[in-house]
Amino acid sequence: MKLIKIQELLEAEAVTGKYDPEIEIEIGCSSDLMSEILAYGKPNSVLLTSLNNIQVINTANVADIGVVCFVMGKIPDDKMINLAKINNITLLTTILTTFESCGRLYKNGLKSCSYLD
Amino acid sequence: MDNTRTTSKIQELTYELKIKDVMIKNIKTVNSEMSICSLGDFLKKNRITGVPVVNEDELVGLISIEDFINCIKNQDKDAIINDKMTTNIETLYEDEPLVHAITKFDKSGFGRFPIISRKNKKLVGIITKSDIIRGILKKLETAYHDEEERRYRASHIFNDIVADEVFFKFQYDVEAKNFDKAGEAATGLKKTLYRLGLSPEIVRRAAISTYEAEINIVSYTDGGKITAYLEPHQIRIVITDIGPGIPDVEKAMKPGFSNAPGWIRELGFGAGMGLPNIKKFTDKMTLRSTVAKGTRLVIIIKLSDYRNGD
Amino acid sequence: MVNLKDIVQKLDLKVVSGDIDREVSGGYSSDLLSDVIANAQKDNIWITLQTHINIVAVANLQELAGIILVNGRQPEEITLKKAEQENIPLLLTELSTFEIVGKLYELGIHGNKG
Repeated sequence: MKLIKIQELLEAEAVTGKYDPEIEIEIGCSSDLMSEILAYGKPNSVLLTSLNNIQVINTANVADIGVVCFVMGKIPDDKMINLAKINNITLLTTILTTFESCGRLYKNGLKSCSYLD
Repeated sequence: MDNTRTTSKIQELTYELKIKDVMIKNIKTVNSEMSICSLGDFLKKNRITGVPVVNEDELVGLISIEDFINCIKNQDKDAIINDKMTTNIETLYEDEPLVHAITKFDKSGFGRFPIISRKNKKLVGIITKSDIIRGILKKLETAYHDEEERRYRASHIFNDIVADEVFFKFQYDVEAKNFDKAGEAATGLKKTLYRLGLSPEIVRRAAISTYEAEINIVSYTDGGKITAYLEPHQIRIVITDIGPGIPDVEKAMKPGFSNAPGWIRELGFGAGMGLPNIKKFTDKMTLRSTVAKGTRLVIIIKLSDYRNGD
Repeated sequence: MVNLKDIVQKLDLKVVSGDIDREVSGGYSSDLLSDVIANAQKDNIWITLQTHINIVAVANLQELAGIILVNGRQPEEITLKKAEQENIPLLLTELSTFEIVGKLYELGIHGNKG
């Protein structure tokens, strides 16, 4: 699924400025516990979370996750945005809940990461 | 670098590079019916000193700023290009090696050559001496970067160094309770290993396990150190802290076991997954802990190859 | 409104406690208890990976329809006991949060409006 499609479905705004809307995202994952993402997250995925602190960016960075979408209108602070930019991570923000966001993306064909892999 | 080697490298490049690699492709052309006055404006507008003359797709001549100046000198203002252009033109094929163009420039004294396609003899570009210089410099720069990258690769360094034991050591200090700085060691190590040409998968495993260990130091101890040793066949990461220690190591290794305080849980950690995650992403893990003194964790990730994904 | 019994059957959830004959108004997914306390709504089905005993208290407080534990997680013994006591449906799945939410969404359960 193209990043632009994800942005449209989630009615999300990109807070890291310029990004490549054509990036292909294969997998969706969601958690507010970063260890869960570290354990089961995959490269080429979008992370949906309501957690809003610098460790979300570090987690995405070490786990090679290219896109993070903050839910329920959470907006990352400047330090997080800068760190994301340096590490080439795109940050989105949506007013939708985690539930609504996952639902829309799954319904439109985005696959999930699994602990069974 | 000595002089003979530089010369030979450039000579090598003039054979390696094709004319089409350095020629100007988006070229302007003029029709032979154009007046000389208009030619002056045309050259000025496009900031060029010469232009191929093309009638209905066919290359018929070449006209330069010198021809224009001569016209002005002779007050021959009503002339058209057809009267003044050079028709005795020499061309080159786009797939010829660059050295042919150089030889031709040397012999002829011309400032530019039109380049044509071998297939349909149509004009596809133009080449000047400065295009040749630019092309060679660009190629030299790329070659230099490639060489630098290659020299940097860990596998290469290990092969070049003669010693009984070789390792690189990267050490990071980790501050206690400073959640804003947590992650700097792991992301620093990630960047370093990647720069040294290790495969993305290896780098990812090292980064994730170091990150979990770093979060543990920040959350539970009075500070510590992370020291990574890059060895020829493995990465060994030693994580030590000054802290309360772990009373029951076996229990602490169980997924889901946690005695994390609420503030850690609300920050997105402390669900008892840290140590199991470290185990999951490493080939070997040794944990020793002394209550009231501290913990020493050693993890090993074996290197299957060194290269960046390619 | 969708009945929890239908959800359990269609998504092959394992029921370990509570009466599942009840209506679900919508879904809420979060691993932060404070967030659930602040934002979940009555009769929501809650998706989480937390197995700590406090999840039962939160479900009770918010009058949630049930809790789905994801990624093959088992509730702690003390959590299970408490859930039985309070008649809170605890449901288990091998699927991830993203996937189980997706499947619930396809059954017509949506997120709360902000």
